[in-house]
Amino acid sequence: MAHATATATQQYNYDIVRKFAIMSVVWGVLGMSAGVYIASELAWPFLNFDIPHISFGRLRPVHTTLVIFGFGGSALFATSYYVVQRTCQTRLYGDRLAELTFWGWQAAVGLGAISYMFGITQAREYAEFEWPIDLLITVVWVCYFWVYTMTLRLRSQPHIYVANWFFMAFILATALLHIFNNLAVPVSLTGFKSYSLFSGVQDAMTQWWYGHNAVGFFLTAAFLGMMYYFVPKQAGRPVYSYRLSIIHFWALIFLYMWVGAHHLHWTALPDWVSTLAATFSVMLLLPSWGGMINGIMTLSGAWDKLRSDPIMLFLITSLSFYGMSTFEGPLMSLKSVNALSHYTDWTIGHVHSGALGWVAMVTFGSFYHLFPRLFDAKLYSQKLVYVHFFLATVGIVLYITAMWVAGIGQGLMLRGFDEYGNLAFTFIETVSFLHTPYVWRAIGGALFVLGLLVMVYNLIMTSVSARRHSAAIEAKLAAKMAG
Amino acid sequence: MSDQNKVKPTAPAVQTTGHAWDGDLQEYNNPLPRWWLWSFYGTVVFAVLYWFMFPAWPVGDGWTRGVTTASVIEQGQTVDRPWNTRYQLIAEMQTGDAALRQRAYAEQISSASFQEILDNPEMMAFARSVGRGLFGDNCAACHGSGGQGVVGLFPNLADDAWLWGGTPERIHETLIQGRNGYMPAFGGVLNPSQLTDVSEYVLSLSGLTQPGEAVEPGREIFQGPIGGCYTCHTPEGTGLQSLGSANLTDAIWTLVDLPAEASTEAKRDALSAFIAKGVQGNRVMPGWSDRLSPTDLKLLAVYTHQLGGGQ
Repeated sequence: MAHATATATQQYNYDIVRKFAIMSVVWGVLGMSAGVYIASELAWPFLNFDIPHISFGRLRPVHTTLVIFGFGGSALFATSYYVVQRTCQTRLYGDRLAELTFWGWQAAVGLGAISYMFGITQAREYAEFEWPIDLLITVVWVCYFWVYTMTLRLRSQPHIYVANWFFMAFILATALLHIFNNLAVPVSLTGFKSYSLFSGVQDAMTQWWYGHNAVGFFLTAAFLGMMYYFVPKQAGRPVYSYRLSIIHFWALIFLYMWVGAHHLHWTALPDWVSTLAATFSVMLLLPSWGGMINGIMTLSGAWDKLRSDPIMLFLITSLSFYGMSTFEGPLMSLKSVNALSHYTDWTIGHVHSGALGWVAMVTFGSFYHLFPRLFDAKLYSQKLVYVHFFLATVGIVLYITAMWVAGIGQGLMLRGFDEYGNLAFTFIETVSFLHTPYVWRAIGGALFVLGLLVMVYNLIMTSVSARRHSAAIEAKLAAKMAG
Repeated sequence: MSDQNKVKPTAPAVQTTGHAWDGDLQEYNNPLPRWWLWSFYGTVVFAVLYWFMFPAWPVGDGWTRGVTTASVIEQGQTVDRPWNTRYQLIAEMQTGDAALRQRAYAEQISSASFQEILDNPEMMAFARSVGRGLFGDNCAACHGSGGQGVVGLFPNLADDAWLWGGTPERIHETLIQGRNGYMPAFGGVLNPSQLTDVSEYVLSLSGLTQPGEAVEPGREIFQGPIGGCYTCHTPEGTGLQSLGSANLTDAIWTLVDLPAEASTEAKRDALSAFIAKGVQGNRVMPGWSDRLSPTDLKLLAVYTHQLGGGQ
């Protein structure tokens, strides 16, 4: 075993995978803690402490950037670099170039988070980075594309495994989205401020074309790539259906690009754009579910693993949340439902059932599989994986239930009329109604972070025991040589 | 369920694609699940029907309008227009249930005088219903949700002291044009002992100190050319609503929190400090005529009037 892994580390570039995986966890802890803090600010506004840098408006993009790009992005770099090497049976192309993607990406995430706290922002959701950081990201992304493509070209396998299609689609689409949404004119070359090339409803449309496809390609397609490797690997069983993977891949890729405008229903957006966005969202439901079916049905015939393997529990639960939130999404994209849900916390709940339930859970499951292999050690504790799983699941359920109550409740209050045909509630009454659900949301989020900390402890102990183990072997060897 | 599935992998019907990656990574070639495929077709059918019904595809300079219509009233005639969000809004505002109810009352209100509204319980009930929302969304941020105000900042609207008048007509005027409270700063005009003297006198106007010898110097400043306070506050100290000058005899203090001060000396010092500073640009109420409709302003005047001590 030790021998096999020794050759594996030479054969594959695990160093870059380790770096990204560790940073993913670091950003995860920071970003999710920031999330719990701003959730608490909404429940107990005194937590702003009148310090502008930590007010909700500035910390919110810090939270989203750290979890999407820091945690999610680094996890995708780590797993895509791991998966492409293992499934192509070739070492990652360009050690230096890969190294550059690591430092460049970490710098972009860190600089972005700091700049938001100082009020430097493009004010485009999930694309708040100002133009110098945008340029850095572009460079990193081109390198990423090159490293990935060249590794695929140098593969010693005749076929390209399905996970790599999804990663490739994610890399290409993200490049497209990033460049077009960030077309902006800097006010000066020495300052951060810039103005978008687009204006009015076209600007909004571009932003949400980006925003929704960030969800579609960054948080869905890429994590499906992760799923397509780690679920069958962990289950030790073949993927359920190759045919389904082809069909749902192309359907997903084709349909996602149309739906961004459903974020702009009932605005200045032309009605026909709204219609197309809503209908394509509905057509997206089954292609989304294709990935869930392929993941969950991979376990068909081995359901007992859910009883014995907590990592499998993470992976399958993540797919269930994926299925749930991709059902909820098309529902909310219908104009009549959207009239109620838009501008309320229902949206926040929806995005977190995807972000916590799907993205984070599938990452946790994959990391529990990945870390022991990266450190050549047994996972420190299976029991702690169970603890993490239950903390995370209870946290998510509290979170999304609280947001359903908050969102649907506020939505109904905002459209409530009294017997005279007047609005039944003032705006502030709908806000004070939110306090209780906000408290529960903060508690749910805190449980989720607590679970993450349990994982951090488990992973640290895994690497410590790995080091101890190899030290013991070395000592034994040295003793033998001396003898 | 699990029994049924356990036999599956051994069943020869399903084959893998024959490729293997990374050791044991393989794919079955199961057919697309029937229910999945038919549901997918179902969503496509839904989309196509939707496109026929509503504005959908861009064509040339326009777009396909769909067969759905919205009934709107144009020049007294009910006409069907191709559905879009604008016509839907117009239709809802013209014939929607809540809109119709609201409009019936609003028309009655807009042609009635304040006295007619105050005398009509039904119109008053409507004014309270709509006013609660208008007041909550526009006024409560400063004056508080019950109109209780904030001492030192925003006047109380629920008591019967009115700086600018408490009749519906005066409140209406206040709402339309806004108000700008002003009092000169006397810090540069009166010396500290004069400030103390005049404060002593002002306190006596509302019975906080005993009138007599002790307040005589202050009375001279107030009523004479040195202070000239009487010009705005009147010689009796009751104030002028045309100027927004405060009534100093009613023991209601909206800018200095005198009841919060423990001793008479402390009250006097707080008042002196206030007179030294005056009221300079921090007692401003904006006008609302470009934010609210005439009917809304009228209703809001009635609502504010009935909050407490309308006159």
